[in-house]
Amino acid sequence: MRAVPLILAALRRLAGSAGLLIGASFIIYMTVRLAPGDAVDAISPMGTPPEVKAQLAAEFGLDRDPVTGYFAWLARSAVGDFGESLVFSPGESVMAVALPAFKRTVLLSGLTLLAALVLGLGLAILLGEPGPRQQVLTAPAYVLTAAPSFVVAVLFAQGMNWFVQAFVEQGGYETPPWFPIPIYSESLMPYVFAGFAMLAGDGLFMDWFNTLRAELLSLKQAQFITAVRAKGARTVGHIARNLVVPVLSGFSARLPLVLGSVVIVEYIFTLDGAGYVLLEASRARDFPMVVGLSVLFTATIIVVSLIADLVRALIDPREVARGG
Amino acid sequence: MNHRLLRCLVAFGAIAGVVAPALADDQVFRYPEDTRPTSLLPFFAEDMTSVRMVELIFDPLVFINKRGDVEGALATSWKVDADQMGISFVLREGVTWHDGTPFSADDVVFTLRAARDPKTVFNAKAKFSFIKEAVAQGQYGVKVTFNRPVNEPERRFLFKILPKHAFSGTTISRKDKFARSPIGTGAFKVDKFSLRSVELTANTSYWGNPKIGAVMMQHTPDKAAQVNLLQYSGGKAGVQAVIFLQPKNIPLFENSDTVVLEPYHTVSWWYMAYNHKEKSLADLPVREAISLAINREELLAAHLGRGDTLSGPFTESSPFYNFQVEPREPDLERARQLLEDAGYKMKGGVRTKGRQRLKFKFVMDKELASGQELFLGIQAQLKKIGVQVDAEYVDHARYREQVFTKKSFDLTMNVWSFEEVEDVYPLFHSTGVMNFIGYSNKDVDGILDAAQATKDYKKYKEYMKELHAKLSEDLPYFFLWSLDVYSGLSKKLAGVFIQPYYYFTSFHEWELRP
Repeated sequence: MRAVPLILAALRRLAGSAGLLIGASFIIYMTVRLAPGDAVDAISPMGTPPEVKAQLAAEFGLDRDPVTGYFAWLARSAVGDFGESLVFSPGESVMAVALPAFKRTVLLSGLTLLAALVLGLGLAILLGEPGPRQQVLTAPAYVLTAAPSFVVAVLFAQGMNWFVQAFVEQGGYETPPWFPIPIYSESLMPYVFAGFAMLAGDGLFMDWFNTLRAELLSLKQAQFITAVRAKGARTVGHIARNLVVPVLSGFSARLPLVLGSVVIVEYIFTLDGAGYVLLEASRARDFPMVVGLSVLFTATIIVVSLIADLVRALIDPREVARGG
Repeated sequence: MNHRLLRCLVAFGAIAGVVAPALADDQVFRYPEDTRPTSLLPFFAEDMTSVRMVELIFDPLVFINKRGDVEGALATSWKVDADQMGISFVLREGVTWHDGTPFSADDVVFTLRAARDPKTVFNAKAKFSFIKEAVAQGQYGVKVTFNRPVNEPERRFLFKILPKHAFSGTTISRKDKFARSPIGTGAFKVDKFSLRSVELTANTSYWGNPKIGAVMMQHTPDKAAQVNLLQYSGGKAGVQAVIFLQPKNIPLFENSDTVVLEPYHTVSWWYMAYNHKEKSLADLPVREAISLAINREELLAAHLGRGDTLSGPFTESSPFYNFQVEPREPDLERARQLLEDAGYKMKGGVRTKGRQRLKFKFVMDKELASGQELFLGIQAQLKKIGVQVDAEYVDHARYREQVFTKKSFDLTMNVWSFEEVEDVYPLFHSTGVMNFIGYSNKDVDGILDAAQATKDYKKYKEYMKELHAKLSEDLPYFFLWSLDVYSGLSKKLAGVFIQPYYYFTSFHEWELRP
């Protein structure tokens, strides 16, 4: 009997998410189309004859009004056709360019969030209850991780270059293939560095740490844990099960922040991810590419939030009862 | 530093970098670019990154050599008709395309017909407008006829030749896959076109015998990062060239053991344009006062480094530059007097005449090098004579729309770059397609029309010098400066000659020493 309200809640949430995605895609499409300057302006030097510009505008689909354009785009994208790139990679399908790059970006962002979670949890367990000794340790960490991730990225790149030149190169060791940053390299290290910059910047790590420590402390003091302890049973399993909900909520809440900062960090480390493509496509006013990628970013956030809600509902039936 | 720790760190770096780049050896020439190449199909190679890459992949019929003379590339000789209404080329034999197909006259005819095809839409189409028809004469001969007499027509055949067999017809679209996997006859062929890099390998059957094994272009938009790549690698493991070094970075390499500063000529000059549709800027005394208030030497030295201040629309190395015309020296007193005499009185810090206030919208392209610093300098200098300018910084696409299309600006600053010949007709003729400032002067139109009509190059030069003097006086723009441009190159490179504009024309002669 419990399955029926759960399925209904899931369907309700799914319909809401689809509506949200359509609404978001409309806003993204209109913002990009109505922004001053278009793809024709981006590629036409001074002196381009008006007839050439008009032909280009027709070829790019810029001659139709944005509302008609949006509904045509929506109809096509519903069957997986997000159109062709205009300037970034002319003639290539948006998804053929965007998806491989997007997978790299999502993997980088997801692993960064996961690393922040594992490290934050580890530190929370290690430090235990707050006290003067813990504050001595955590205060500098707050300061160090308060900088924006792009600042951390720039400082890290400069510092690493200096380190390799001063100690590795001068010491007669072979320099690593990723040196100097940001040289184009197929090694994993630039991704590791980017992940570190995102983890250390924007307060992400300390935010996770704080959330998890607070959850841990409140669980440890919860009445049901005291009862479990009184029965002489192990509490770890109970605590872990009850941590899943806040962890999932935290994960889905922090994903937009990480997907936002990855755009700039990828640029700094010259990674070929979706952030890089998005910035370059925006510069070139390649609206099918910008819209396609923005929708992918939005859809990812919506889907992760949906999954988090459903898992939460599965674990905690009170969520369904509350209408979640 | 603890050596055990250092060894661990080095090992970690090596393990993490297990997928070493395939091109990491001494015979790879790596260089960063500010922008990503949009198209490697020559017709659509509109940004400088694409122009430079296309130079490595394709050949023209002729090119301009180090001495500035026309030299054969795919053509070995040519003959201009006595009436300058046509030209015949004899083509190089034994040349093959990168896919092994032999090159022939059909490819040249195809390229010209594709360029003239009304359905092939590209920005530089007007460059082919003088061509009436092209006909193959045997396998290695081409006759091209013109629709009007053309001075030194061979200089107009610098465009790249396309392979006929790679296209289904003469209508070529910018969406063609050829733009990412091109087939040329040039010294290098495309190996891999990735999101932010392009890898090329030497064409071993190239007639010019390239000495470098491979080329890798890496898109690195950040100028500081480009400098890092050159500085930290010392030209060893990183990049071997930075195409354009910002003046502030030049001192970093002045006494470098590994990097040499290579000056090169660019046919380009900076200007500040007045919108002549704006009533007060249509007044010559106002334009003159503004130009007298701006200290170009000071701005140049502070923000852009070395260069020449100009008195007209040509660089000093141009055959058209008129050295009789001196650049204006700044003179605040005279500037104030000119405005006073024209009836502009100080009112609340801004000069005013009736309802006309000397308060202008200065539109700047965000991508212009040192644009913000230059604007602030100009703003401070103009304030001294009671002229107020307010900046509007816009991104590149919007700048083109706002300034060039909608003409919604009072003042703007930018750079004109020319491929080879400084053709200023489109800029200053009242019907010119690049006359975005709304400038109209009957004398200037007369000089430009007479210059275009003459078949005599000497006479043409005289007309250009006369034009220079006239424009210096009438100030459609305030001509600012041409810069001394430097590339940073690894000292391992030898045989380097940097071609103005195209950069890599002689790249097959460059060497990379171990």
